[in-house]
Amino acid sequence: MYLGVDIGSTTSKAVILDREGQVVGREIIDIGTGTDGPKQAVEGALKQAGLRRTEIRKCVATGYGRLLFGDADKQITEISCHAKGVSYLVPEASTIIDIGGQDAKVIRLNDRGKVDNFVMNEKCAAGTGRFLEVMARVLGCKLEELSDLADRGKDGVAISSICTVFAESEMISQLSEGQARADVALGAHRSIAKRISGLANRIDVKPSVVMTGGAALNHNLVQAVADELHIDIISLEDPQAMGALGAAVFARELDK
Amino acid sequence: MNPEVQKQIEQLKGIAENPKKAVNDYIAATGKKAVGCFPIYTPEELVYAAGALPVGMWGGRRTGSLADKYLQSFCCSIMKANTEQSLAGDYDMLSAVIVTTYCDTLKCVTENWKIAVPHLNIIPIVYPQNRKQKSGQIFFAEELQRVKGKLEEVLGADIADADVEAALNVYEEYRKTMQMFTEVIRDYPKTFDAVTRHLVIKAAYYMDKKEYTEIIKAMMAELRKVPAEDASGMKKVILTGLIAEPVEMLELFTENEMYVVADDLAQESRQFRVSAPAEGSCYERMAARLAAQDGCTFLYDYGKTRSQRLFDMKKQYNADAIIFCQLKFCDPDEFDYPIVKKDMETFDIPMLYLEFEQQMESVGQLRTRIQSFAEMMD
Repeated sequence: MYLGVDIGSTTSKAVILDREGQVVGREIIDIGTGTDGPKQAVEGALKQAGLRRTEIRKCVATGYGRLLFGDADKQITEISCHAKGVSYLVPEASTIIDIGGQDAKVIRLNDRGKVDNFVMNEKCAAGTGRFLEVMARVLGCKLEELSDLADRGKDGVAISSICTVFAESEMISQLSEGQARADVALGAHRSIAKRISGLANRIDVKPSVVMTGGAALNHNLVQAVADELHIDIISLEDPQAMGALGAAVFARELDK
Repeated sequence: MNPEVQKQIEQLKGIAENPKKAVNDYIAATGKKAVGCFPIYTPEELVYAAGALPVGMWGGRRTGSLADKYLQSFCCSIMKANTEQSLAGDYDMLSAVIVTTYCDTLKCVTENWKIAVPHLNIIPIVYPQNRKQKSGQIFFAEELQRVKGKLEEVLGADIADADVEAALNVYEEYRKTMQMFTEVIRDYPKTFDAVTRHLVIKAAYYMDKKEYTEIIKAMMAELRKVPAEDASGMKKVILTGLIAEPVEMLELFTENEMYVVADDLAQESRQFRVSAPAEGSCYERMAARLAAQDGCTFLYDYGKTRSQRLFDMKKQYNADAIIFCQLKFCDPDEFDYPIVKKDMETFDIPMLYLEFEQQMESVGQLRTRIQSFAEMMD
């Protein structure tokens, strides 16, 4: 049995693969590095798989908190792990857009599913999951309700700023001027999609494109990015767990 | 490593890590004056000819709010740190500061500095756009003499042509020695890891070049007695950009089993990779040396030769990859990046874009970038 643990800034994910490479355990906890989130995620995945920790043959840790997770055989970056996880499920994938809690990455894969090149966002929350959290707070809804709210928007309000802090002020101004919440939500999604697309364009996006990370659960955002890049984006059933899946695949490879 | 070499390394690292102390100690010991030199290609020879110590002003770790009075938030960290340190009095030991004029920030900030820190006697220097043409070289030779005149006023010294000639010879010996040194240390990638290599080269900015050159020569003599270090399993990288700091970033290269096989950094090899010709007056030779600098974004580079240089370096040193060291808000490098990126892709050379600031408190994201790149090359 092989364990992959992805310790992000806001969430902890764990995936367990069996000898045949099938997922037998998976858990996501909404707290990340510097908390007991990783421990909870591992315990949850073990429980789901009906396993004890001692039955794990190899473990790989990834994500920002990877170096603090002492219980791993190897630490591998989330860039390599997302590439591994995505190419495991979607072998034809050539580009991954990963929107994490505090950063965004665009990863280009070669024809063997290995990382060919990558770009990361600058030291700024624009274009990251953090921006979505700020949007939800301003719009008075839960993070998971954002996408549906934006779906109800007809004429998206333009949010011009590329800075999260200023965009937040712009959204508040638009709301106080009487703009509908749904239109402001739609405009904010388009704004973040522009930012992500700008990053993606630095690396030359090639199909097939897959989006991962918690933000990929927001279908309105996925569509806004697809529209902005004029390209189809493949949706995954469990985009948030791709890093942990990739880590588990690496762990399985370590045993060979 | 040979204890003598280790001792020399520690001496130079100590100076590079504590430049303020090094300069103050030098002034106290010699009674000489010191003149600040902004990056890059500053005519340190003129300062040296005046009997003063040229001091490189390459930013630093100090941050604060004093510089905000004069600078926008999008200035590079060298400019921010230099301004902050000057306003805080860290550079009060300097008798003058030569301010170069390569980028938009430098061009415009000179006048602000004159009112911000008038006691530092700001001396701007202008570089010719058409430095390869005869007219450009005549202009620059005259500009050097104008700067020399300003230094004479400020330092109360007469600088004869023979003094400049002698200083130029000291600097030519330094450059020739460093060209050899960077070749020699390639055989010792563990002793001269990314941090040590950088600090040993950087120490030259805070020392008498003659004394520094003697130490480097002695170090090379000792190194020749030591067998080459095993570099198997290590990746060879070439750094390009203005600077590669802070050291915490360089430590990540070592952490990921990479070593710097050569550099194309303005702070490092670009300072010494081109020697002055033997013919002509001291000013003509200095102007000709500037004219011969190629592949540098801070000087007008017809045909954009930087990529070809990197390609040649990669081939010459059998390097595995290029690291594009992008100091945040250094716009000359930012404009070069798309060109270099496209060319490296055409040459099929792996290149990592690394954006950083000198005053980074956390290198978590840099660690992910560098480790991912190392994994990519495996």
